[in-house]
Amino acid sequence: MAHGPSQNFFSRWLFSTNHKDIGTLYLWFSFAMFLLGGFFAMVIRAELFQPGMQLIKPEFFVQMTTMHGLVMVFGAIMPAFVGLANWMIPMMIGAPDMALPRMNNLSFWILPFAFTMLTATLFMEGGGPNFGWTFYAPLSTTYAPDTVNYFIFGVHMMGASSIMGSINIIATVMNMRAPGMTYMKMPLFVWTWVITAFLLVAVMPVLAGAVTMMLMDINFGTSFFDAAGGGDPVLFQHVFWFFGHPEVYIIILPAFGVVSQIIPTFSRKPLFGYSSMVYATASIAFLSFIVWAHHMFTVGMPIAGELYFMYATM
Amino acid sequence: MMKRAKALFLGLLSPSSLLLAGSVSAESATRQLNMPRGVTEVSQAAYDIHMIMIWICTVIGVLVFGFMFYVMYAHRKSRGVTAANFHENLVVEILWTIIPALILIVMAVPATTALLKVYDTGNPDIDIKVTGYQWKWQYEYIGEGVKFMSELRTSQDEIYGRAPKGEHYLREVTQPLVIPTNKKVRFLITGNDVIHSWWVPDFGVKRDAVPGLFTAAWAKTDQPGTYVGECTELCGLGHAFMPVVVEVKEEAEYEEWLAGKKEEAALYASTIGKQWTFDELMVKGEEVYGRSCAGCHQANGEGIAGVFPALKDSPIALGPAEGHIGILIEGVAGSSMQSFAEQLSEVEIAAVVHYERNAWGNDVGDIVQPIDVLNFKQSQ
Repeated sequence: MAHGPSQNFFSRWLFSTNHKDIGTLYLWFSFAMFLLGGFFAMVIRAELFQPGMQLIKPEFFVQMTTMHGLVMVFGAIMPAFVGLANWMIPMMIGAPDMALPRMNNLSFWILPFAFTMLTATLFMEGGGPNFGWTFYAPLSTTYAPDTVNYFIFGVHMMGASSIMGSINIIATVMNMRAPGMTYMKMPLFVWTWVITAFLLVAVMPVLAGAVTMMLMDINFGTSFFDAAGGGDPVLFQHVFWFFGHPEVYIIILPAFGVVSQIIPTFSRKPLFGYSSMVYATASIAFLSFIVWAHHMFTVGMPIAGELYFMYATM
Repeated sequence: MMKRAKALFLGLLSPSSLLLAGSVSAESATRQLNMPRGVTEVSQAAYDIHMIMIWICTVIGVLVFGFMFYVMYAHRKSRGVTAANFHENLVVEILWTIIPALILIVMAVPATTALLKVYDTGNPDIDIKVTGYQWKWQYEYIGEGVKFMSELRTSQDEIYGRAPKGEHYLREVTQPLVIPTNKKVRFLITGNDVIHSWWVPDFGVKRDAVPGLFTAAWAKTDQPGTYVGECTELCGLGHAFMPVVVEVKEEAEYEEWLAGKKEEAALYASTIGKQWTFDELMVKGEEVYGRSCAGCHQANGEGIAGVFPALKDSPIALGPAEGHIGILIEGVAGSSMQSFAEQLSEVEIAAVVHYERNAWGNDVGDIVQPIDVLNFKQSQ
């Protein structure tokens, strides 16, 4: 049997279990989403070029702001770093491939379907999601268009993809390091990605919980986020930001890792304080779980909560 | 353009220059980049902390980036410098952990004091209930029997560019909230439908209006004037069109205004039984419709397919008047059609129901009187 990738274009890219090919797919997908999200941003800026309404109606404008946020966060930034991880991590730790190559393929191929479904809502009756990328209830439940159900399903799919990608990275780093590649010898990019992967595994299910509660409120008569039924709209924000704040670090930590590789390389000297960088990154990840409500300072929390979240944030 | 750019630049460079130059008009506030110092204890405390933090950040930024620039410039490769290969220094690492920690502690002290001030909502002189609606504010003077809606006054023509934009474009309302000077006013803030946020930068007040929950904020100022803010929580299509306008009046003037408002309420109660003519109701109804209904159901009554149903040729608008009134009074559960019983008066509900039944080719032809609405309410 011949070596190397399949010569058939479709079987090479659709059925690939090669970490570099999948990394390439992730990076191209991310770039495509970057252009799409960027296009949405251009629509927003074109409308805002002058005060008043010129080009689009308010109902389309809010769909653009929402879709821009969702596409950029879940479609452009996160897949870009998973793509880099797929390419670099096996090579950096001396592994022949990722630990779970078929799951790697699956976790990528979920994404195009999730985003096709999400974007398709723009062409449906009632329009796309129009409640901002933070989709606060009850604007995203009682007052949302019916297409919100597609949005919820899309978020579930993205979450499943992220969790699979993260498990793959954790399994690879834990099991497939070359002999002599101890944890404290790993390049910092690998470290930041392992920590990011743990964050993802911890918080994506929380996001899934939030959208599932929305789904229940919308379709099955529950009142998680409806005060009239004994629920609480503020609960949504607590659950969302318990995901949302670590998400900030999910996005930034791999970038820190990239910077920590590039700068030492081009300044021709070893990284200063490698071990404290590793500990600092781990501490940031831990702290990111206990400061979520600083996104909610105006919501009217009790003073004790407000003070705690202020101090913890500092 | 240049003038605006210059004003922005000045605002950025010396935040206090605009304030020193004279009184803060609403106009200057819109063009100023820095946060306003405001007119209440809370807003001034927030401003002072903000300035301390900005300066701390500026000093640190200049030192760190200055050092980096110097190092990169002085030790560049073209000067033949070779990289030093040391990579651990415990003393330096401990130092740059402890110094920021100390700076943080220093910053935490004024921040705590200011936050305690924000939460000091006890012993108010006046209580005002603020309710966020899609997309307007309602103000109720608790214990005074005075309650009104504060809605955007800017016309659709200005917004859509069919008429020149006025001086207070999107920063003007039908009835501003009026409060007196030198009284502690407590705002009890809640929402009716989705979450809104009531923001008056000059008071240092920003509080979410959450349906089913009350939050409190307060203001006390000795400076009369008009203070403008916005809704600051995305609340749907009209989010940009529900400004907050507060007028602070001298106490005597305020008392006079309040007495006038009470009289108005009494007068209204006595005229509710008046018989209106078909055309009077159409005129009044069109006005109310433009203000309260057209945002969703559109000026032509055709709604937005899949989101907001059309009223033109709708079975409700063409059916019995009682059912039509019922929709406005009770709303439609589980949809964005809210109850208008608290938002619109009986006269307004009657007029708008009448208008919807007889506009855009709907021609039921009956007359809906305010008394019908009152009877409907009482029969509930």
